[in-house]
Amino acid sequence: MSSLFDQLRAGVTTASAAETQALAAAFAAALPPDTTLALHGDLGVGKTTFVQGLARGFGVTEPVTSPTFTIFTLHRGSRTLVHLDAYRLDRAAQLDSLMLEDFLTSPYCLAIEWPEKIAAWLPPTTLHLDLGIARDERHLLRLR
Amino acid sequence: MILALESSCDESAVALFDPARGLVGEWVHSQIALHEKHGGVVPDLATREHLRHFGPLLTRARAEVGFSRVAGIAVTNGPGLAACLAIGVASAKSLALALRAPVLGVNHLRGHVWSPFIALHAESPAAFGQRLTAHLPHLGLIVSGGNTLLFVLDEARGVAVLSSTRDDAAGEALDKGAKLLGLGYPGGPAIEKLAADGRVDAFDFPRGIGRRDELDFSFSGLKTSLRYLIEKLPAAEVQRRLPDLCASYQQAVVDALTRKTRAALRLHEGRFRSLGLSGGVANNRTLRAALEAEAVRAGIPLLAAQPKHTGDNAGMIAFAAWADPTGVNRAANLALGIEPSAGLA
Repeated sequence: MSSLFDQLRAGVTTASAAETQALAAAFAAALPPDTTLALHGDLGVGKTTFVQGLARGFGVTEPVTSPTFTIFTLHRGSRTLVHLDAYRLDRAAQLDSLMLEDFLTSPYCLAIEWPEKIAAWLPPTTLHLDLGIARDERHLLRLR
Repeated sequence: MILALESSCDESAVALFDPARGLVGEWVHSQIALHEKHGGVVPDLATREHLRHFGPLLTRARAEVGFSRVAGIAVTNGPGLAACLAIGVASAKSLALALRAPVLGVNHLRGHVWSPFIALHAESPAAFGQRLTAHLPHLGLIVSGGNTLLFVLDEARGVAVLSSTRDDAAGEALDKGAKLLGLGYPGGPAIEKLAADGRVDAFDFPRGIGRRDELDFSFSGLKTSLRYLIEKLPAAEVQRRLPDLCASYQQAVVDALTRKTRAALRLHEGRFRSLGLSGGVANNRTLRAALEAEAVRAGIPLLAAQPKHTGDNAGMIAFAAWADPTGVNRAANLALGIEPSAGLA
């Protein structure tokens, strides 16, 4: 599984949402418990698509939709998948009003869109993944 | 009488519902102006605003109508922003203790399910049961910033989800489209306004998942295609063609919603006796007209929620607490918890 991490550190391009999800599902299986994953990238680069793949990797069967409206959503699978959209947060202190700790039950995977908004709050062990659009509408994913 | 509280997002709302008369009072404090500056609802600001405004709203409700006949305290306990929901639920529990009435936990989406029927009840409260039966089974479309789904309300008033969005909600597609185009918040009304002067066929946007019998919605590809388009067009061209962009983009959202609704009507040919439209995006005029046409085509009436009952409001929570036999949590009472990511069923 370390080879997947190595590949992602070098950068992987995907040609479709299905490919991005398959990659994310394999990545989910390789993640240690209680991981915080920061997904960096602009609107429309495939952050929610990636989290849908993570969910599949954790055996979540319900639909994983954008958490923008309620800021975070919970999905129960082999891990508690917490999908957080930090876009509307501009201070780490605002996390208090989300009562996030009440819902982060181990083993969990906390996937964060727009993590730069709450950079001060992110644990030092956070994995950072950059998502972007390459040429020909292909999507580029790279682990920092 | 049912006293209802709603605080799932950025509106603090209180309503009183009398089954024999209908909604006898609705009091709202909206935070839209506050969140406009931030381009969206800011959770900790919203929480503080709820704390500040529930007291005065309740004081007004007690002064204008009175709480002496209140027999139940309905409250939204999900889905929504966690701390905002917690304030509503805590307030409901204190009121329940003070007024010696039970707490009724209501799913916000059940409120949207029932909101198109509030007007039917108001026309003639005594005949409501009979007239409701004549409208069931009912196919409903809920379209809001957080949800997009088709559901069935059956003869026994049971609710079943027929389909939902696989990624973004329709309202979110409009909000995020507006964001990509550099328009303000809330994005839906901004797009609708500009779209009025644009051509709906100026740009070709995808209409979501293709197959006719596939009822799920998808709006994330639409958002991405707008992004690709904006990156290809010179910035001045984007500015000059904003009305066309908005009209074409909005039409793609409306078409996707209409096509799936039509597909659901066809799959269950002749089953439904009414069509419903509710949620914040239900105010969009293009969408209302399109759904009206679908209802006419199917030969059934369209029940659209009244504008004051499309967004977050306590009227629909009170009404659902009374009308919905299965979707109300009556057992938890003072132990009622919040469910920030609750679904409809």
